[in-house]
Amino acid sequence: MLAYIARRIVYVIPIVISVALVCFLLVHITPGDPLVAILPADASQELAAQLRAAYGFDRPLPVQFGLWLLRALHGDLGNSIATGRPVLAEVVRAVGNTVTLAIAAAIIGFTMGIMLGLIAGYFRETWIDKLATSFAIAGVSVPHYWLGMLLVIIFSVELNWLPAVGAGPGGSGAWAWDWAHLKYLVLPAITTSVIPMGIITRTVRALTGDILSQDFVEALRAKGLRETGVFRHVIKNAAPTALAVMGLQLGYMLGGSILIETVFSWPGSGFLLNSAIFQRDLPLLQGTILVLALFFVFLNLLVDIAQAAIDPRIKRG
Amino acid sequence: MSELPLSATSDAALQAAPATKARGYWATVGRRILRDKVSMACALVLLLIFVSAILAPWLGLEDPYKGSMIRRLRHIATPGYPLGTDELGRDMLARLIYGGRLSLVVGILPVILAFGIGTSLGLVAGYVGGKLNTAIMRTVDVFYAFPSVLLAIAISGALGAGILNSIVALTIVFVPQITRVAESVTTGVRNRDFVEAARASGAGPFTIMRVHILGNVLGAIFVYATSLISVSMILAAGLSFLGLGTKPPEPEWGLMLNTLRTAIYVNPWVAALPGAMIFAVSICFNLLSDGLRSAMDIRN
Amino acid sequence: MLIKTTTTRAALIALLALGTAAAWPRAASAETVLRIGMTAADIPRTLGQPDQGFEGNRFTGVTMYDALTGWDLSSADKASMVIPGLATEWKVDDADKTKWIFKLRPGVTFHDGSPFNADAVVWNVEKVLKQDAPQFDASQVGVTASRMPTLASAKKIDDMTVELTTKEPDSFLPINLTNLFMASPSKWQAFYDKAEGADAKAKSQGAWAAFAKDASGTGPWKMASFTPRERLELVKNANYWDKARVPKVDKMVLLPMPEANARTAALLSGQVDWVEAPAPDALPELKQRGFLLYANEQPHVWPWQFSRVEGSPWNDIRVRKAANLCVDREGLKDGLLAGLMVPATGTFEPGHPWRGNPTFQIKYDKPAAQKLMQEAGFGPNKRLAVKIQTSASGSGQMQPLPMNEYLQQALAECYFDVQLDVIEWNTLFTNWRRGAKDPSANGSNATNVTYAAMDPFFALVRFLQSSMAPPVSNNWGFINNPKFDELVKKARQTFDPAARDAALAELHAASVDDAAFFYVAHDVGPRAMSPKVKGVVQPKSWFIDFSPISMAP
Repeated sequence: MLAYIARRIVYVIPIVISVALVCFLLVHITPGDPLVAILPADASQELAAQLRAAYGFDRPLPVQFGLWLLRALHGDLGNSIATGRPVLAEVVRAVGNTVTLAIAAAIIGFTMGIMLGLIAGYFRETWIDKLATSFAIAGVSVPHYWLGMLLVIIFSVELNWLPAVGAGPGGSGAWAWDWAHLKYLVLPAITTSVIPMGIITRTVRALTGDILSQDFVEALRAKGLRETGVFRHVIKNAAPTALAVMGLQLGYMLGGSILIETVFSWPGSGFLLNSAIFQRDLPLLQGTILVLALFFVFLNLLVDIAQAAIDPRIKRG
Repeated sequence: MSELPLSATSDAALQAAPATKARGYWATVGRRILRDKVSMACALVLLLIFVSAILAPWLGLEDPYKGSMIRRLRHIATPGYPLGTDELGRDMLARLIYGGRLSLVVGILPVILAFGIGTSLGLVAGYVGGKLNTAIMRTVDVFYAFPSVLLAIAISGALGAGILNSIVALTIVFVPQITRVAESVTTGVRNRDFVEAARASGAGPFTIMRVHILGNVLGAIFVYATSLISVSMILAAGLSFLGLGTKPPEPEWGLMLNTLRTAIYVNPWVAALPGAMIFAVSICFNLLSDGLRSAMDIRN
Repeated sequence: MLIKTTTTRAALIALLALGTAAAWPRAASAETVLRIGMTAADIPRTLGQPDQGFEGNRFTGVTMYDALTGWDLSSADKASMVIPGLATEWKVDDADKTKWIFKLRPGVTFHDGSPFNADAVVWNVEKVLKQDAPQFDASQVGVTASRMPTLASAKKIDDMTVELTTKEPDSFLPINLTNLFMASPSKWQAFYDKAEGADAKAKSQGAWAAFAKDASGTGPWKMASFTPRERLELVKNANYWDKARVPKVDKMVLLPMPEANARTAALLSGQVDWVEAPAPDALPELKQRGFLLYANEQPHVWPWQFSRVEGSPWNDIRVRKAANLCVDREGLKDGLLAGLMVPATGTFEPGHPWRGNPTFQIKYDKPAAQKLMQEAGFGPNKRLAVKIQTSASGSGQMQPLPMNEYLQQALAECYFDVQLDVIEWNTLFTNWRRGAKDPSANGSNATNVTYAAMDPFFALVRFLQSSMAPPVSNNWGFINNPKFDELVKKARQTFDPAARDAALAELHAASVDDAAFFYVAHDVGPRAMSPKVKGVVQPKSWFIDFSPISMAP
């Protein structure tokens, strides 16, 4: 087991460096002036050249990459061009808000997904199954930014029950876990939860169906095991795969929240990414992408290791 | 939209891939899918959307670009404007139908391109193996390390807004996914008897790949690719929704959703229409892909 | 008896306690708060030189800071002109017109208590102009230096006197200086001393980052708390040097809300008391629900800027005048913009000191326009094709597509065939600097970039002076008119303020008479607020004074 973990970790190192390179290159193939955020269009060429030198954008790209990587290894992702604030602090704060949202969405999506999946798997080919499956397929097919808009239209515009945007009455800095704040979380969390809900429903349904159709279940039933016992058996067998899928879904929610956060002005990592893109703030852009990608890489690693721990057969693969 | 359940979709697709196929196999698949009511309904809806998008200029619609400040944001079922008008007074029905042209192209083309590129890469990596396999698959791993939404947005954000850039970004997102599937099915097939036999009879690697392997793996990769179309539609429209895809004043569903967002307090239901189109296309492709997969899974 | 007294006392104490308890929340809510939804996507920078254009200066510039000179924001009717700020008086050196003496206001302190003096002025000039100064901050240079293009250096004469030097004689300096806000050197130095960093540059960056979180200026508002990208709280500076401008509300909360409908919804639901630029479609509902709307002409112009390169159809003054006369601007205002524009008859409107007396009256006169076009050789059967580069959106662009379509239809009556080349806002803005001869102009012979017209350099000089042609500045169409050049020079070298204004008026009148632009509209800076907000005066400016505003209970 330890050897497996060590192997997986060593394998991650080149991935991490390549991911950093991709982040850097992505941002630097960008056409246009990297200083557009702070340089007015009517600035003189002399001023532009002076500032480019001050920020080091006049150096060759490999040198810039090397310096950036070296500093990044020390936990310094540079300063945002537009605001002058350290990128790492901005990203960490934003990721914190995204985690809040992802956890809320995970609670909703995973619970619903597991319940619907179990019910559908248990009552295969009945109307309950069809209903749950339709729900699931709608969940994975819906453009979630549109769903967010619909929810805003219904619950904020028409009914005026829940706030449409923002992260609480005092901003995310004054976040608290009470209703006055939580009501800001409801719509974005529901919107974020539909895809994991759909995917987990489908996964759990398939797993449950497979397990129930196996011969040994019949054997157990024949031996007089009660349905609760069969159920416990199903859960035990479905858990490893379901957990792995959930882990990955958590990763997608953390890294792919940009559209939902834009709809709800939720001040998380996706929102930050969006403003970095539109302000052409290169250090912030590459820093945010890097942190989110690394998050995802390590979550994948954790899922792999956890899966191997639960199911020893995987190690050999 | 994060990814579809890769494990669920691709595994099922892989299982569905029969090792050898009689001519009768595809006929059976065809018969089975024709009997599937849900799949047929979806195919019909998609056909309707495709045909009307293609025939849009001959349907006697209003000019989708021509606005008027006097008739802005009319409600659904206004006489003359069955689906109302948008924030610049342009006819929504016309824009939704014309919008299908760009939306479908930007949504589907990346999957087709990625299908071509990914299949070739995966086939070569899987058949040749060795160092080439390592080189291809490790590169793929790097792109796999990004959540697909993040990767698509990062690439489009870097390249700048534009239809072409969106297509490039989405293709880059899907190539690694298809390459992985293609590589794994190819690896599964390369040591089968009939491939060995072809090799023994002196066939070149290209011939083997093209004739003997491709025919046996294409089905599985194809089913997987169809399941990506829904994701691609949502992502493509999502890029436009963020302002990273199509530029105004082109009609495109994601962009329409974006610009109409300013109207949700005035005319919310008109503002929601373009999303309904994306949803319809996306769910139909998903159901059709499901139907195709179970039709190919003859064992059931 | 004793018992009774005790119980009475106990009851009294209990009552008192109840009373104070009841009084407590009332005392707390007696703090008056003004909450504002801005259009910016982020809080403008707080360290003294805001980003986000003039909206930045409006919220984190003139609130927390003062400059040597400022804008008079006290009247809704008069043009807003430059008045003394932290300098009480100034004059140019008679012998050397590149040297200016500024007398500083005595008795002013920064929010941290340190005194404002000549050292502070020199320090603030050097933060953007002296590259080897420890406080030099490249990130503040772009927005600042380009708004005071001729300032070169500063020197202390005595504690309350500073000498400023320009690169060339420039009478616009006092106007430019409204953009250089005075941050507290002592506060910054304290952060610098504490900052960690490998070298002086890193320490300086760290100090500025810390300063931005806990800033100190001399303005009527002090920074209280700051959540990046979400919220900035300012509290009133009870010790503000101008007693008349000590804020009436205790606290002002600024919230970035880039989306018009989100802002509007926040106002409707009581989340904020005031929003900038409410969604135009929501205006009827806002009015109907008793919210107040304010708007006033802004120093802003929505024009077509003509190409004057060889072969451009706009080289014929009759064609330029015809376009200016062919459009019903009132129809545009009411039909299309819900009244939210002021028809433009030049860069400055009557009543503005820089307006002058143009003889060419810009108004709606279709017959005159048609006649001019016929004289120029065009008519119903020989139409003139023109191509305009514009964007679908953009800061200050108002409603570019519908407005251009309106112009397209109007000009069609005067034998113009207008073709629109719609490109992305940032591209349009970049092309502006490249000029009409550049391939990026894509064959268009006019560009539609709106501009701010507060400062004579930005309002007139950069467009009209021949040496401002690309790549130097924004004379996009390569206007080369010796008369303009001469008048620019005259205005820049006239140092008596009244005479300088007269020279600028002469330059402006000449540009209108030459129909140098197709002048269409001025923006009006609409804002909506709850009826509880009292004392609002919206001047003809990009800025507004928050000090006289109070909140009714």
